[in-house]
Amino acid sequence: MLLAVTYDLWAFVSENWEELLDGLLNTLKVSAIAVVGAFFIGVLLGAARAHRIPVVSQLTAVYVEIVRNTPILVQIFLIFFALPQFGITLNQFTVAWLSVMVWGGAFNSENFRAGFEAVPYRYREAGYALGFGPRSTFVNVTLPIGGRIALPSSINTYISVVKNTSLMYVIAYPELTTTALNISAQSLETLEALTVLGVVYLTLVWSLSAAIRMLESRLALPEGR
Amino acid sequence: MVRSARWYFVGLAALVVATLVVWRLEPPEWFRPVWTYILEVGLPATLRVSAIAVVGSAVIGVLLGTLLTIKFKPLQGLIRLYIEVFRGLPILVTVFIVYFGLPEISGALKFAPLTAAAIALVLWGSAQVAEATRGAVQSIPREQHEAAAALGFGWSGRHAFVILPQALRRLLPPFVSLLVNIIQNSTLAQTIGGVEILQAAKSQNERLSFPEPIGIGEIHAFEIFAGVMILFFVISFPLTRLAAVLEKRLARAGYG
Repeated sequence: MLLAVTYDLWAFVSENWEELLDGLLNTLKVSAIAVVGAFFIGVLLGAARAHRIPVVSQLTAVYVEIVRNTPILVQIFLIFFALPQFGITLNQFTVAWLSVMVWGGAFNSENFRAGFEAVPYRYREAGYALGFGPRSTFVNVTLPIGGRIALPSSINTYISVVKNTSLMYVIAYPELTTTALNISAQSLETLEALTVLGVVYLTLVWSLSAAIRMLESRLALPEGR
Repeated sequence: MVRSARWYFVGLAALVVATLVVWRLEPPEWFRPVWTYILEVGLPATLRVSAIAVVGSAVIGVLLGTLLTIKFKPLQGLIRLYIEVFRGLPILVTVFIVYFGLPEISGALKFAPLTAAAIALVLWGSAQVAEATRGAVQSIPREQHEAAAALGFGWSGRHAFVILPQALRRLLPPFVSLLVNIIQNSTLAQTIGGVEILQAAKSQNERLSFPEPIGIGEIHAFEIFAGVMILFFVISFPLTRLAAVLEKRLARAGYG
């Protein structure tokens, strides 16, 4: 009952806003790097899978299955605690963006593979008939159309990437979750810290999913597939 | 499926043989105690948390998802909020809310780490299941409702005996995927000190780094965490394959 009286969100935010803002910026920075990386990994490996390019396609399948079937927390531990054994010591920031990028890239390559495979063969055939080579057919036909089909599901992956940056708590990288929890560990304002975390993450995630719904109608293919 | 299943079993057999060989021959001295601890203490905890979380998510999720199809705005609004909040929050934050937040509100809501992790996974999992159930229930044609009503079933009888049995068939693939996700996310218990596979591995890894009587003053992080990764892969891979097969079978049966 006493605690209900001491709940003071405003005091918590006004005293710690600078630190919290730094944490949020770190979350956004790591997310942005990971999202951009996951986009390129997704397009390249997704294309390799969709067009069954030998060796690359099989290696991608192995990469995707490993990432999908193991907990991301274990992947982070492996990168952070095990790589130094081989003389590769990465700082927390690098581990942070690298691990969520590797994770997001695997899921994204499946998104883009599905998108590219959904492009009807007759479109590519038309590209060849117009004299495009395989590469320019991909860039001018498969990528714009398949990319649009893959966009909503890939944004879902980016949302998960943003949420997964909270896991950097385990390597003590000062993103939002780590920062808020550290402040609350000293000041004992646990509920206030958790409120801030909840509000900020829900705002981020809900805005991104609203963006998907908007994009879905804007980017729907004109002929309605 | 057939080909990847064959590869899986070939790989699994090779792995089992390799493990037995290493175990029977002479593994480094640290090897046996570390893996005995992970497999005897960590693995059962992971399985227990996952089992509780899956059952809890399924029961609460199906209930909420079915209630969501009732056209009563305040109830729909509340369930929607529940779904959007627990699907939107990073599961780690939900874990912290249950483990650190709830005891602040009332002393009765103080849970052990593994219990707190299971509760957080139920909150997240039931939100996922509720969303899937809503879709599945609404995909059952209206005639089924009407026919059941004509036979004299009330709302609950209609749903329990006619609608849900059909909807559950559609829910099977999402349930299997949920199981995989819950097993993997049970590692989040590590962050609050719950001894499941990952925490068991981490503490053994730290122990080995201590000097002689306690540890051996060596780092074997790669062997330990890569082993944990293989362990999770062996559990998850057949399940993700199973989910894909079930999905295909449903699509073929016209249930897309």
